[in-house]
Amino acid sequence: MTLDRSRAMTALIVPVFIRTDWDLNCLKRLLDSVADQSLPFGQVILVDDASPLEYTLEHDNIERIRMPSNGGPAKARNAGIAKAVRSGANYLFFTDHDCILDSRWNEEMSRFLGSTSFGAVGGMTYSWGSTLLDYYHDINGTLNGKWLLPERKELWYMPSLNFGMRSEVAEDFLFDERFPTAAGEDVDLCLRLRSKYKIGFCAKAIVRHDFGYPSTIAGLRRFIRLFMKYKSSSATLYEGHTVLLWDSSESIYEGNAHESHL
Amino acid sequence: MSLIYKRRVNHLSPLDAFRDYWGEIMPFARRIDRKLFVLPLVVLKSIEWGIYRWYKTPVRRFYGVRGNELIYMITRRCTDKCAKCGIWENPEAPEDHIPIACFIDCMIRLHDNLYQVTLTGGEPLVYKDDVLLIAREAARHGISMVTVTNGFLIDEAFLMEYGRLGHILVVSLDTMDREKWGSFRGRDHYDRVMGNIALAISILGTQLRIQSVLSRESSDEIPAVKEYCEAHGLSHVIQPYMDFGGYWHDAAPYTSTSESCAARKNICIYPNGDVVKCFDHHRIPLAREPLGNIVKEDIVTILCKKRATEVSRIMKGCDLPCKRLSCNVPKAIYNA
Repeated sequence: MTLDRSRAMTALIVPVFIRTDWDLNCLKRLLDSVADQSLPFGQVILVDDASPLEYTLEHDNIERIRMPSNGGPAKARNAGIAKAVRSGANYLFFTDHDCILDSRWNEEMSRFLGSTSFGAVGGMTYSWGSTLLDYYHDINGTLNGKWLLPERKELWYMPSLNFGMRSEVAEDFLFDERFPTAAGEDVDLCLRLRSKYKIGFCAKAIVRHDFGYPSTIAGLRRFIRLFMKYKSSSATLYEGHTVLLWDSSESIYEGNAHESHL
Repeated sequence: MSLIYKRRVNHLSPLDAFRDYWGEIMPFARRIDRKLFVLPLVVLKSIEWGIYRWYKTPVRRFYGVRGNELIYMITRRCTDKCAKCGIWENPEAPEDHIPIACFIDCMIRLHDNLYQVTLTGGEPLVYKDDVLLIAREAARHGISMVTVTNGFLIDEAFLMEYGRLGHILVVSLDTMDREKWGSFRGRDHYDRVMGNIALAISILGTQLRIQSVLSRESSDEIPAVKEYCEAHGLSHVIQPYMDFGGYWHDAAPYTSTSESCAARKNICIYPNGDVVKCFDHHRIPLAREPLGNIVKEDIVTILCKKRATEVSRIMKGCDLPCKRLSCNVPKAIYNA
């Protein structure tokens, strides 16, 4: 099903867990980029996952959901999905508080879903910072999706920080709330989702992600902990998807981002 | 044993580790256009590679993809003495047969992850009451169940209850020839089994399936079995012969394939409660010893052991002929 993007209602869902001033500054920076979109979102849903830090926001048109207790990003996103679907949103987009959306992000994501038959879409993610570690992630494609090889016509999975899906897809496949942290829950969703739908790649939908590295040396510990967290989620996924993890794939990075034959 | 495991698959050498490392590093290094950054970035990539390869994660959970099959060899005892199978030659001692409650607890513990529970043996219907207990609990928890039987102990009461629960009954049938029956099954039960199959057809309908083992000894018999199934609208499955201690021979030489083996999706329980990932585990050195026992430990604890993961990983590259069996075919049901 395709929709005219001017008539499609888009909802942006952002799960947040604000612990520090840095988190809060990231969120405000994200909301600035949300306000700066060439095609405004029909709805922006901020799901506060019982943040320990009290905060106020001056941005308009933000619908806030406050979770009664901290349940992880999967549960928070599901709460946002329920609200968006009830509101009649056609396309549901997801990002994280430490991201910055390119001004054409909503337009490009909506255009992609409106002009293709893909059930879900992922965009191109770059690092926000300028340390060597940030450059590494860009070369590595750490937070980018993975092409399904050998054709590179669809994605094997797409991280939820630069992700969107049709509302009917979201109604079929919710995030698994048993994932307690922001690691693996998006891969799990994509693997399940692919039993029925395809995930496309929109190279023009650009998000910049702030890994929070103060410098290359000072950020090394954070860098190592990041991959230890991902390894933990990989083991969980390995048990849950033993049958599914066979497809060969390749991370998207700048050099292969435009090889799509869409 | 006629089958030989591949030593190289099970014992990764330092050279294999290097190949893995090299395969990761080289494509990454080629992407770096700023030459000054090649060395530090390769160091960072090596750190990432090392974490993924060596870091033993404490986070292990099970969750809602129904990607596992729980296979319970409820007993080694059997009413037949089939030449194709040697399991009946070593029946378990009474003290080695676990209380059925242990297995049911295990099944309930895993039910979110199971797309199917399969009962095999020996002859499962030697413990007919236990089979029905499992069938009721499986139905209550939304798990499909398949029981593989030789058909000898089937009766109307069992079929009525089993059929009501919506489960699948698979009857082994390798010949329609009354004269050959005895040499195939070791017992002359032709009339009783065929009568029971007819009864099962009338009660179970399409919930009844027939399974034949294709070997040199049975290859001429199977067309007649297939014809019988077609005439009665039954699903017919043909499994290649595997050497489980019997005396038949494979009908065709095994052709190695590079496809991954799905046996690691399986959680197999022996009559004494021992847990393995595949009933052919003894052919794989690391998997020879069971992962644990459901009488002594929680099943999730058993499956979360480091060795369970290592055995699963090895099985992914396992290239034994049993890869062709239906229990090794990938299958998953997704919880929407």
